Amino acid sequence: MNQEITKLAGFTCAYTPLPLLAAAGFTPYRILPVGQAPDQAGSILHDNMCPHVKRVLDRALDDDLPGLDALVVINSCDAMRRLADAWPKARPAEPVMLLDLPYSADERAVNFLRQELLALAEKLAAGSGRLPSQEELHQSIATYNRLARLFDRLDARAAAGTLTGGRAGLQRWHQRSVTEPIDKILAELETFAADNDHPDKAAAGAPILLFGNVLAETEAFDLFEEAGARIVAEDLCTGSRQLTVLPENPAEDPYLILARGLLNRPPCARTIHAEPTGDLAEQVMRRAQETGARGVVAHVLKFCDPYLARLPAVHERLRKEGMPLLVLEGDCTMRSLGQQRTRIEAFVEMLQGEES
Amino acid sequence: MFYLGVDVGSLSCDAVLVDEQGQMVDWAVIPTGARNVESIAKVQRQILAKSGIPLQQVGATIATGYGRDRVEGRLASVTEITCHGRGIQAALAGTEVLVDIGGQDSKAMLLDGKGRVLDFAMNDKCAAGTGRFLEAMARTLEIELAQLGHLDKDAHGDLTLSSMCTVFAESEVVSLIAEGAAVPEIVRGLHRAIANRTRTLIKRVAPNLSGLAVAMSGGVARNPGVVRTLGQVLDCEISVPKEPDTIGALGAALIARDRSVKR
Amino acid sequence: MMLPYFENLIQGIEERLATDKSGIVARKRLTLETARLGKRLYSGEERITWSGLVAPYDLLAAMGIVPCFVEFIGGMLASMGSIDPMLEQADQMGYATDCCTYHRAVTGAVHQGLLPEPDFLIATSAVCSGGMAVIEGLARHFDKDLFVIHVPHEKNERAVAYLADQFRALTDFVTEHTGEALDPDRLRMAVDNTNRARAAMIETYRWARQVPSPARSRDLINFGIVMALFLGTEGGAEVAEAYRDEFARKAGENIAGVPGEQLRLLWLQNRIQFKNPLVEMLEQEYQTAVVAEELNDIAWDPIDPEDPYPGFARRALSFSLVGSTAHRAQSIQRLAKDYQVDGAINPCHWGCRQGTGARGLMGEALRGAGVPTLNLEVDCVDPRNFAEGQLRTRLQAFVEMLLDHKAAAGGP
Ligand SMILES: Nc1ncnc2c1ncn2[C@@H]1O[C@H](COP(=O)(O)OP(=O)(O)OP(=O)(O)O)[C@@H](O)[C@H]1O
Ligand code: SF4
Ligand code: SF4
Ligand SMILES: [Mg+2]
Repeated sequence: MNQEITKLAGFTCAYTPLPLLAAAGFTPYRILPVGQAPDQAGSILHDNMCPHVKRVLDRALDDDLPGLDALVVINSCDAMRRLADAWPKARPAEPVMLLDLPYSADERAVNFLRQELLALAEKLAAGSGRLPSQEELHQSIATYNRLARLFDRLDARAAAGTLTGGRAGLQRWHQRSVTEPIDKILAELETFAADNDHPDKAAAGAPILLFGNVLAETEAFDLFEEAGARIVAEDLCTGSRQLTVLPENPAEDPYLILARGLLNRPPCARTIHAEPTGDLAEQVMRRAQETGARGVVAHVLKFCDPYLARLPAVHERLRKEGMPLLVLEGDCTMRSLGQQRTRIEAFVEMLQGEES
Repeated sequence: MFYLGVDVGSLSCDAVLVDEQGQMVDWAVIPTGARNVESIAKVQRQILAKSGIPLQQVGATIATGYGRDRVEGRLASVTEITCHGRGIQAALAGTEVLVDIGGQDSKAMLLDGKGRVLDFAMNDKCAAGTGRFLEAMARTLEIELAQLGHLDKDAHGDLTLSSMCTVFAESEVVSLIAEGAAVPEIVRGLHRAIANRTRTLIKRVAPNLSGLAVAMSGGVARNPGVVRTLGQVLDCEISVPKEPDTIGALGAALIARDRSVKR
Repeated sequence: MMLPYFENLIQGIEERLATDKSGIVARKRLTLETARLGKRLYSGEERITWSGLVAPYDLLAAMGIVPCFVEFIGGMLASMGSIDPMLEQADQMGYATDCCTYHRAVTGAVHQGLLPEPDFLIATSAVCSGGMAVIEGLARHFDKDLFVIHVPHEKNERAVAYLADQFRALTDFVTEHTGEALDPDRLRMAVDNTNRARAAMIETYRWARQVPSPARSRDLINFGIVMALFLGTEGGAEVAEAYRDEFARKAGENIAGVPGEQLRLLWLQNRIQFKNPLVEMLEQEYQTAVVAEELNDIAWDPIDPEDPYPGFARRALSFSLVGSTAHRAQSIQRLAKDYQVDGAINPCHWGCRQGTGARGLMGEALRGAGVPTLNLEVDCVDPRNFAEGQLRTRLQAFVEMLLDHKAAAGGP
């Protein structure tokens, strides 16, 4: 096991090329939008700004974070760009590295992203003194794939309601997987996964698909289960979308694998669907049907334009199929979710056909 | 046996008692106040005294409203949404769209005509467009709340309020008074503002209202001005049940009965 | 509703132009050209596209397409006073009211059948994420093909090459949809028109920088952003030249846009699109002129007619709202200096993550450069939330403060 003290590279987006960060000698550290840091980011940016980005910035302003040797920001949306702009106000000494992210997955975009990744590798190497070799990168991809596959298996068990600790427990692992060194977490998670299934209290709940952007708190998942829901599928950028299995092919340029892999990941709302156009609504519908969900819960942060702009189409699509949708607006506090408890409970009651 | 529904709302604490057949026996409404546990006990005592039914005769209690989890001895908590859906079915059978405007929440529900909820929408967290808002405006205009709904009968202007935020609307009303606008016109403007906001909420669950039976519940349904204006902006008939603020408690009582009888 | 509106507008302006004796007609010419564009969009006779803000309009013009960015419709509806039902429609569809009103208005309008069906759509990642998502929604609504352009964040040769490449691919995409290949002569002509318009605009701005400025506060409202739509066309070049000539004449005769000019202001990002009295109030009560507008700026070089794609790409990248806040702050600082403004107004359009989202950073950068800035916090398209009294007070206080500064700094 790797005992040398590695450097820490902060990141904030599920599109971050973690295998590259790790191979370049950094422990990727996701700055999760959690905790009690006071609201200050609004004065640097604006109060009407993505709460995810504000909370991340608040944590930096409040020193509620370890020191970082680099911050890797993905140019995924307006708010992320503004985060890159604002970081030096909070942490002037930490270098910000922006990775531009195309919107489509055609060859032109893949090549551009490959060059972006190469440029990022060089910037990282300037900090760590370690430009990863091709072999190291292939290895790192394979290691992250092991972790991603493990999560896929655990996710299926959580969906069935048989995972010890349920969704909240799984979310805890999701959090740790992006804040602790990969080797450590992989070993622990393998042990956990080998454990036998235990039927969970959620097993009898009303099956729902939970999708959206950021919902990092473990308590949030408890809240859904206590309300009588069973999350049969979860599609969040702080959950199942955090890690994806990339193709492994030692004969191919690993940067190309990373570039293509990132652009073909399960998309989030910032990704534009040109073919077929506006496919997000269809994807949500398909996923709900495939997983046997009886209702869909969209957890979307306030001020997240890419998601909020798409909700009308999602709503229209689901309504056409008679699939109930509940939209919850979040702000990265449990308080706001707690205030929407009545809606969650009413939604579950509705799905269960209460008192029909 | 009798069954009790208690609706602990943000402003009023309501109780309804139904009998074995689901017929309403009695109801009571008191202000929730700052200490809801006390109000809950009080409204329970009150309805039992009023109806002369001893506590032992109460088979089950269902609690609803934002304070539902504070009700001791309840069989279960059920949300206001489900309860209003169930309650309106008993009060106005066949209702397909129900809007409940209470003290701090407004909710629109799409029902299957048999009391089951198909879809619902709730207002944002602030009190814009709810009973609390109207109360604040009545205070600013120095008129009784119960009067508010009658004042605008003869107003016809199209004075509009640009803000629905209680704080801003208050200062807007103050400046309208200063400019010499007639109170009935201001009241009409307030009602229109609430009606427009409510229409948006309703259209989220029912984009097309034609042919649907629409009803309104909650304390604000006691305000005929709001009901009239909402009917105008929606271009439809709006039914209001008797004692509209007890519909949630009625639904809760019926659910208590359904669950007990089924068992 | 829209076609008759534009037809009436055209007729009205043409009549006024025919009888004009003042010779101050540039603004009317711009409005006329805008109305003509509107008419073409709604005539049902032309190939049209809905696009993002930084699409290469001259390239599209050369290919016989009438292009328009979607935000145009939001601004148009606001200035017509017809935006309320669109916003309400969007609200009913579940489009959060915290989002940019331009986007909500377009989304509402399309569902009310108020947007003509395009032949295809073009999304551009600049200037904002919301805009991209909205165009995707329109493509879905109309069931039309969508071309996505990724405008890179950083401005280097790699970015230029990548973006130029995407514009070339756009050419193929358009050909696929029209069945007509790009005619190199038409492209050259379009680029010539672009360069003509550019030269005339730059000269117009040179005159506007004079003290006192020949510009009235409303002369340059939306000028650059609307002119972008006319790039590549003869009509566009003529409008720009009308501005140039008018400003040159006024400057030559020493006619100030705001008589007795006391203060000069720079307007950031969006102007308020609906009728409002704020700018007149500044002119009349404080002899204060808005002489510069951020989005009017031209920071790109003439385009090479023989190889225009890299030039198109550099132009898109030069836009002040593309890239980092530092880039934007530099553009604004340059404008503040060039136009010798006394202060800047940042409307902080509600719901804009791109511009307003950087309010704090921009404020700091401008303060650092000695440009006092007023944040208005206004919705530039939704008249329902317009708190006139409050805005008036803020503006007055700001202007009084600037006048004080000026006096203290040894005024007359
Ligand atoms: N006679 C009346 N005339 C006009 N309005 C009335 C009258 N009685 C009650 N109201 C209105 O009803 C509101 C209270 O409604 P209701 O009792 O349904 O609220 P609640 O259930 O406590 O609140 P919530 O459901 O939001 O928690 C008051 O704010 C008041 O505006
Ligand atoms: S939540 Fe939305 S706005 Fe915020 S960073 Fe993610 S995609 Fe961007
Ligand atoms: S105002 Fe801001 S959010 Fe709205 S269209 Fe313009 S850049 Fe986008
Ligand atoms: Mg209530």
